[in-house]
Amino acid sequence: MTRPLLEVEDLAVEFDTHGGTVKAVRGVSFALHEGQTLAVVGESGCGKSVCVQSLVGLVPMPPGRITSGSARLDGEQILGRETVGGMRVRGQLIGMIFQDPMTSLNPTMRIGDQIAEPLHMHQGMRRRDARMRAIELLELSQVGEAEKRSRQYPFEFSGGMLQRVMIACALACEPRILIADEPTTALDVTIQAQILSLMRDLQRERKMSLILITHDLGVVAQMADEVVVMYAGKVVETGSADDIFYASGHPYTQGLKSAMPQNQDRRAQQLEPIAGSPPDLFDPPTGCGYFERCPRAMQVCEAHQPPDFDLGKVQHRCACWLHDARATHDS
Amino acid sequence: MWRYTLKRLIQGLITVWFIATTTFFVMHFVPGDPLSDARATSEQIRENLEARYGLDKPLYQQYYIYLRNIASGDLGISFTQQNREVNDIIREHFPVSAALGVLAVVFAALGGILWGALTALFRNRMPDVVIMFLVVLGVSVPSFVFAALGQLSLVTLNDWLGVSVLPVAGWGSVQHLLVPALVLGLGTMAFLTRLMRSSMLEVTNADYVRTAKAKGLNATQIFIRHQLRNAILPVITVLGPAIATITTGGFVVELVFAIPGLGRFFVQSVQQLDYTVIMGTTVFYGGFLVFMVIAVDLVYGLIDPRVRVE
Amino acid sequence: MSTANPSELDFSPAPERAPQARLVRPSLSYWQDAWRRLRLNPRAMISLAIVVGLLVFTLVGPMLWRLDPANQDLEQLSIPPGAARTAHIVEPYTAWRREATPGTGLRLASEATTQSVRLVWDAHPSARAFEVFRDIYPPTHPPTQSTQDALGIPLGEISPQDGLAFEDRLALEPITYYYHVVPVGAGNRLLSDARETIEVEVTRAITLEEATQRGLVSTGKKTQVGDEVELAWHPLGTDYLGRDMLARLMYGARVSLFIGIVAPFLYVLLGVAYGSLAGFVGGATDQTLMRFADFVVALPFLLFMILFKVLFGIGPGESGIIPMLIALVILGWPATARLVRGQILQIREESYVSAARLMGSPTGYLIARHMIPNTLGVILVTLTFAIPSAIFTEAFLSFIGMGVAPPTPSWGSMSNEGIKTMLVSPHELILPAIFISVTVLAFNLLGDGLRDALDARMRSVE
Ligand SMILES: Nc1ncnc2c1ncn2[C@@H]1O[C@H](COP(=O)(O)OP(=O)(O)O)[C@@H](O)[C@H]1O
Ligand code: SF4
Ligand SMILES: [Mg+2]
Repeated sequence: MTRPLLEVEDLAVEFDTHGGTVKAVRGVSFALHEGQTLAVVGESGCGKSVCVQSLVGLVPMPPGRITSGSARLDGEQILGRETVGGMRVRGQLIGMIFQDPMTSLNPTMRIGDQIAEPLHMHQGMRRRDARMRAIELLELSQVGEAEKRSRQYPFEFSGGMLQRVMIACALACEPRILIADEPTTALDVTIQAQILSLMRDLQRERKMSLILITHDLGVVAQMADEVVVMYAGKVVETGSADDIFYASGHPYTQGLKSAMPQNQDRRAQQLEPIAGSPPDLFDPPTGCGYFERCPRAMQVCEAHQPPDFDLGKVQHRCACWLHDARATHDS
Repeated sequence: MWRYTLKRLIQGLITVWFIATTTFFVMHFVPGDPLSDARATSEQIRENLEARYGLDKPLYQQYYIYLRNIASGDLGISFTQQNREVNDIIREHFPVSAALGVLAVVFAALGGILWGALTALFRNRMPDVVIMFLVVLGVSVPSFVFAALGQLSLVTLNDWLGVSVLPVAGWGSVQHLLVPALVLGLGTMAFLTRLMRSSMLEVTNADYVRTAKAKGLNATQIFIRHQLRNAILPVITVLGPAIATITTGGFVVELVFAIPGLGRFFVQSVQQLDYTVIMGTTVFYGGFLVFMVIAVDLVYGLIDPRVRVE
Repeated sequence: MSTANPSELDFSPAPERAPQARLVRPSLSYWQDAWRRLRLNPRAMISLAIVVGLLVFTLVGPMLWRLDPANQDLEQLSIPPGAARTAHIVEPYTAWRREATPGTGLRLASEATTQSVRLVWDAHPSARAFEVFRDIYPPTHPPTQSTQDALGIPLGEISPQDGLAFEDRLALEPITYYYHVVPVGAGNRLLSDARETIEVEVTRAITLEEATQRGLVSTGKKTQVGDEVELAWHPLGTDYLGRDMLARLMYGARVSLFIGIVAPFLYVLLGVAYGSLAGFVGGATDQTLMRFADFVVALPFLLFMILFKVLFGIGPGESGIIPMLIALVILGWPATARLVRGQILQIREESYVSAARLMGSPTGYLIARHMIPNTLGVILVTLTFAIPSAIFTEAFLSFIGMGVAPPTPSWGSMSNEGIKTMLVSPHELILPAIFISVTVLAFNLLGDGLRDALDARMRSVE
């Protein structure tokens, strides 16, 4: 296996709040390979956004704090750094798009200027050239009448169109990695598919790597090469998309799958939402985070953190006691 | 934008009509009917009043005459001073109040934006704590106290230095204007500082600021290009009411500093029960304030594209 | 993580787990919860204490400090708080016969008392006359400064034929004065270079007869000229008419707080009624009602407060409190009406009320059971912020002479009178100003605290 493009190890992030310290991310490790798509899945609030935002320094500090970990891009540490090898981490190495396109663009600035901004301010491009490039980028993101549109303001756009603008914005400096944090959650289903296929096309064209955050396994099936499943601030399972879909080893992943509508399935639809809610991250459990909701929990799970078990295949790992040789249930 | 402007102007005219009507009927219900000629102070004035206000005619005709006069820009004639037109009074005294008011609004707006941005940048640190303490004081101290303290400190300063650094009262030069305008703007400045601070803090957490950061802009660029303009918007929306506050606050400052503005004249005419001048001046002030609010809204439209296209 | 020996781990199935009973705090009612949050806010609690203190000051104060606020103490005009109040008993005033006084230069001919200050000085070769000035500030400027106001008030011009002496009996206070005697040369020019200055500390004097009249002399004891007597005690000083500041501040508090609390209470109530009506009836009625409210909002507030004061007219002997109250209520209600209407429209959307409506409850019940409790928080906050603004309005109007009429004390009318003597006795302005400011400050901070406490959203550190 080649060396990964991005390697995150043991990342932990906390927030100081009135109610105490929120341990939002508690020792997360994963790897992203050149030109591949890594999906990060998990219920809302399990630390996906905080995890990726901390990589590029977008977590507000204070109240946020990175307490441990490293993130290496081509072997170079990027955590807490503005530039690496003369390139800005934000924008030039890693581009980002966010969940809510309606609020993610400056309401009082023209679309074209917002895309051209980093080109003009950082790449030393002349203002006119930067504008021209912005229009090209809009065309690339399949925004019709790009020239006219570049002179408009965000409120004149629909949500789907704005997400295309966000993509154009993120691609402006041709980053090596694009992080998309739930890019389609706020959009209509039909628009969702368009945006996803746009992202996939652009990624292939530019040999970019993609980190796609979502809580929708359907999106994962459509896009991902590798999958990281997060729960309560921890990675509970990682593997290839096939591993996760056809041989998932963690009860939480299995729960997510049975909560997902499966269109290809002929049998009667039966959606089973996972009962209960994730644990309190002010005071995270000492044992398995999923213990309270797990249908197959054992006595050991309550107080003992399950280690990562290698599930035989390449890089398919799972943090669950069921894979211990002593487990009573068979997995 | 043109449609919007037109709509606002028509609304403004209706509001002015409402103000004029309320003024008219309030004054007519004053006990003893002050507009009846019996109380006019001289023969000459009485004749003028009758001619101007149609006092011998029934109420609805008087109302009609009154509105017609206002529509033709005639705000009436004094009740106590011979041949003194309200229009002349306004022409003479309003520029003084306007100069004072404009300077006060500029002080208040610039100060509010500056201090507010500063406190937000230094959030919870020394400058923030100090300025916010002063702001809390500033919104709790009445304008006349500021005026009195301003004058007191001028007197003390002049006395202490033995030379007249700035005049203590009166009118005539820019120096006469500085301290009164500052004092007049102080309360509003405190209010705007508080608004600007919370608006800045809100903008700091806005999604588009995060986007700007993700694009690789540094803190200064984000502040100037993204935060400031958006944070100022709420400040502009309250400038209309702020102008009203400063206009009426001017009454006090003009009294304390003996500035011959319209506010002081208005207070005097109320004290002398110069009914026609009270009516005329009230309508003038009402119209002025209504159209200032509209002007501020139109300026807002220039800055916020969302209003412009509507 | 686990210190246990792995071989001891128990891999048997776990029992059923309690289904998510993870409430961190005991469940409190809305109001208990708000009160708990308010108590944790030190600024709000200090403000609450100040408000309670003010109410005690207003309601209980006059019972403890039983001095008539209209009573004039003519011996002690405009005295600052904590001023000495001893007076020397002196002989009744007799005319000065200008006996020769030993010494040279500008000097006192006798002890300086509030009865009289007697100055004598020496001749000056080129003096056609002498101008005498009295100042309350020490002379800091070089003597070349020839402007008159730098020397204080001019007391009179003395021609040398009348003798080189001057007697000052003009409204003397027991403070330190600076007297300047300036020769006047040819052409009425002040010869400032030859000016002489003397610092004079004036002691308070009272005649035996006056002291007896005012009851300052205890009947049992024999008092004579040269003795000291204590004048009446004014802890916060007196105003320019000799009225006790503490008593006036207490009565002024009654007026200011009465207007400041009752008016907002009434207009918030009116606003709630109006807004509920609009919100409930809806449709065209709602439109009409709110359009009217818009117009009332558009009336320039202070101008119309003044107009209403003209309308109600304040006759002689009237205080002007009730007219101001009425005017405040007439102009103040629309903001609350808008707010309550908005709240009601919002709550009406929410499901629990529709559920109650489906079960056929009458409108009155709906209002009482669902709307009021849910809007009460907002109304309370509005009321708390309305109080300081009403106090401000009262002060502003009384200050420009359009509000509470003298002699009725209110903090605003006291400030109005205080500003006239501001330069010589600032306490007459500063004391009522402090009361206004502290009261407004307390209500503002209390309002902030209440708003935060009732705002159930989770807040991050601010
Ligand atoms: N600025 C912040 N202050 C306090 N807590 C935060 C902050 N940002 C995130 N958190 C906490 O971190 C946890 C993870 O949040 P997030 O990463 O946004 O979840 P996800 O993206 O998986 O839905 C949440 O419990 C949230 O309360
Ligand atoms: S470790 Fe135990 S509780 Fe956690 S997922 Fe596995 S079986 Fe369930
Ligand atoms: Mg998220």
